[in-house]
Amino acid sequence: VNIFSLLRTVVSALFHRSRIENEMEEEMRAHIQDRADALERSGLPRAEAERRARLEFGGYEKFKEEIREAEGTHFFETLIQDLRFGLRTLRKSPGFTAIAVLTLALGIGANTAIFTIANGLMLHTLAVRDPGQLVELLHHYPGEPEPGFNGFSWDAYQTIRDGNHVFSDLIVGSIKFFTVSADELKPQTVFGGDVGGTFFQALGVPAAAGRLIGPEDVHTGDHAPVAVVSWSFWKSRFDLDPGIIGKNIVVGDAPVTIIGVTQRGFYGLSREAQQDVWLPISLGPSPGWGFGLLARLKPGVSIEQARAEMAVLFQTVVNAPEAGPFVKEMKLRIEPAGDGVVTPVRQMLSTPLTVLMATVGLLLLLACANLAGLLLARGASRQHEMAVRVCLGAGRTRLLRQVLAESLLLSLLGCALGIFLAYFAAHALIRVFASGRFILGAPVHFEALTNPDAHVLLFTLAIALLTGLLCGAAPAVSASKTEPASALQQASHIGASKSRRLFGKGVVASQVALSLVLMSSAALFVEYLWHLRNRNLGFVRSELLLVTLDFGQSGYDAAQFSRLSQELVTRLDAIPGVSSATFSDMSPMLGPGASSFAFAEGHPEKQTQASINYVAPDYFETYGTPFLAGRDFSVRDQAGSSVAIINEAAARDCFGNEDPIGRHITLSHITMTKGEKTFEVVGVVGNAKYNDLQQPAPPTIYPYLFQQSFIGSQLAVRTRIDPGVIASAVRQTEAAVLKAVPIVRIMTMTDQIDSSIVPQRLIAMLSASFGALAVLLAVIGLYGLLAYTVAGRTHEIGVRMALGAAGTDVMRLVLRDTLWMVCAGLVFGAPLALWGRRIAASIIPDLPVGSPLPFLVAAVTMIAVGLIAAYLPTRRAMRVDPVVALRHE
Amino acid sequence: MPEHAQILPGNLDLLILKAVSLGPLYGYGILLRIEQISHGALLIEQGALYPALFRLVRQGLLKAHWDTSENNRRTKFYELTAAGRKRLREEEDGWNRLVAAIASALKAQPEGT
Repeated sequence: VNIFSLLRTVVSALFHRSRIENEMEEEMRAHIQDRADALERSGLPRAEAERRARLEFGGYEKFKEEIREAEGTHFFETLIQDLRFGLRTLRKSPGFTAIAVLTLALGIGANTAIFTIANGLMLHTLAVRDPGQLVELLHHYPGEPEPGFNGFSWDAYQTIRDGNHVFSDLIVGSIKFFTVSADELKPQTVFGGDVGGTFFQALGVPAAAGRLIGPEDVHTGDHAPVAVVSWSFWKSRFDLDPGIIGKNIVVGDAPVTIIGVTQRGFYGLSREAQQDVWLPISLGPSPGWGFGLLARLKPGVSIEQARAEMAVLFQTVVNAPEAGPFVKEMKLRIEPAGDGVVTPVRQMLSTPLTVLMATVGLLLLLACANLAGLLLARGASRQHEMAVRVCLGAGRTRLLRQVLAESLLLSLLGCALGIFLAYFAAHALIRVFASGRFILGAPVHFEALTNPDAHVLLFTLAIALLTGLLCGAAPAVSASKTEPASALQQASHIGASKSRRLFGKGVVASQVALSLVLMSSAALFVEYLWHLRNRNLGFVRSELLLVTLDFGQSGYDAAQFSRLSQELVTRLDAIPGVSSATFSDMSPMLGPGASSFAFAEGHPEKQTQASINYVAPDYFETYGTPFLAGRDFSVRDQAGSSVAIINEAAARDCFGNEDPIGRHITLSHITMTKGEKTFEVVGVVGNAKYNDLQQPAPPTIYPYLFQQSFIGSQLAVRTRIDPGVIASAVRQTEAAVLKAVPIVRIMTMTDQIDSSIVPQRLIAMLSASFGALAVLLAVIGLYGLLAYTVAGRTHEIGVRMALGAAGTDVMRLVLRDTLWMVCAGLVFGAPLALWGRRIAASIIPDLPVGSPLPFLVAAVTMIAVGLIAAYLPTRRAMRVDPVVALRHE
Repeated sequence: MPEHAQILPGNLDLLILKAVSLGPLYGYGILLRIEQISHGALLIEQGALYPALFRLVRQGLLKAHWDTSENNRRTKFYELTAAGRKRLREEEDGWNRLVAAIASALKAQPEGT
């Protein structure tokens, strides 16, 4: 139901009321006059006749009221009355109100926070023509994490463009980030993209000024001559200066001329990575696999049909004669792109968000059960009040509505506080996201993910109303069933109704069941994270400082780099607290590096897919990876033949049981290079993780960095003390030796590892806090309900004690009952929890679902919580003097 | 003067439908018509007529329009809709069955007398 149309009905009913009422009055007045006429004819004077007529007519206002009620506007008047009364009663019991509102605020807030991000990330369509028709082409290798990469060769583009029957347009466009500067503009990083000649026309984006990139702008040089910028870029950086057309800016390190501005509202291909600068693609001599592809489905063509045809067509691409062995293994995927293309942010967050949405949903249910229990207990203590109101003529529906209005009021208050909490929670979450690798340092528009919009507010309002109805339903029905006579008589005998007690027990059991599910999944994710963090990495993670340098502007060649970097390492070694330092092309968990196919000397038939990292001397000493055989590189190697060190996995795969030292290994199809290279193996080291904590360490080849024609930009420093303390000394030394080389970032290995497992950390962190919250809610809820059930049995306990039962007997009785309820909850919760784990395992590979530990932890916690919650009210009941308890009658 | 019978709330609707089925009528006219056809045996609280009329219009059993009565007063005239006619038939049948059943039950003589 549209909330606005509902509002309209209410408003129009309120305004039309005067018209309807006027008509009613006129009609009734005519009636009274008619009657007066008749009475006058029978001989009464006019004044007396009118008086009698009015008397006979009866309660004028009463009938009007009846008509109003039939008409429906009455509903809103009484609703306002109910709400006002509800507010007054809530104000009278601030403790209850605070707990109830806080419970709901936590449940609603958690849902709103997660939904805000999911909404910002996935529920927005792009500002282009017919976004629903857009699909994205992605490729990935078997065994690689989905969804893969969007980068194709120009040949692949042409094959797909000319061979398909399902796309009306094939569009070249991807998201990258550029450094942009101009005379009046400080250098800044923005998202942009290289786009094909039909990009804007096929997306249906017009120009706000100038002209957009067309087919004539596609060039063959190293640098694009022209650029298009977004309207928001024009507004924020140039204040909508019409002179922007023809202005020169520097993108990367090349000057380009701005030829146009896109239509206002167009932000490119992704909401979180809003693009500001577009350059035409280059079809230079070796364009490589750098073209991102989007396609527009022909009208009436489904994505399934497109997938079927493209699966066949892509075989032509990967089986092209010049395609390397990597390419042959590629698989194609086609995904809808109407709500934006896959970005690192989305890739990183979609799994955690799915898991967390489910978790917060359960949390809200728990909050509901909790509040239902509290309201029920409160309802029991208000039975006397309800009975009095029934006696005074309150209708049953009116009582029902009164109680519902109270629970709605609570949920609306909870909603308001929840939105407030959610705002901070979403920002806190974003800070964790922003530490993820691949997006560190990128100008991601996180505010697009945290700003609640109308969707979010409606969502929150809807769940708040639903929550209010859900937790108010049972207490409301129970209140409306109040039997005045019996309730007034036994006002002290609260909670005696059998069905009500059963319902209370059901609420306790369902709280236990839900908490069990939440706790066991929290324990599962925490255990998973613990495993991930404490895996044997093959290197020592602590006390290792990683520095990323930018040699781009320095102009150093490989020889200068080799000399200067060795000088830097020598000077770093001299810093107190530093034990060794080294350079390399990659550092572990930084991201995907180079890879290739390796052939061992004497085994040309066997090819091993291997990861590659170019390293300097002391790399293995710095990282703490042990040598198993052979030696480290030395400066003498620089003049000799090409040498490499390999890890145990590579030695086993390439050489089997033979001794690899002194043998040769040939690498072909190394990423980003052509041709083959042969190395002499001088050492074998232990296996170490390369890019992924979850995958086993891959076969890895470490060629000698200083024999290469390029520069390794990763500096690692092993320290004997806290690496954070050394950082500033490292900075100073670096600046002194490598004057023209800025430091991009300094972080510890531990932080770098953490940034590679942001999704897992998020899930573990949040589900752990939700689990803790669940326990807290369960304690509050159980305590409230047990206090109520035990209070209801005060009389029974009094009788038992009067008949000679000892305090311990009573204690045992109540605790046994509680244990029963908790166990019933555990029995119902267990299959749910197991089912939840199975679902979690299907979303997250590698989850330790076999381990019974999380489950046991959760079950034991719930039993303990139940007993503690039961103990306090029972102790109070035991202290009751039997005489007092019996006198209650 | 015949003794007055109190009517039950549900029966007022039936009487209104019956009264109006004989031709369009305004509120006071309906009252007079019911008095006339029941030979003055039924006492109706006059004001209660209006909520009932309003309800029947809401349910689509009656339709109303403004006109001038024979007393020269502007007031609302009511007449039956097709649905109202159908409902009237059903209610009449139901009522007759109920009355017949109760009447036969009351006629029963105690056994053995």
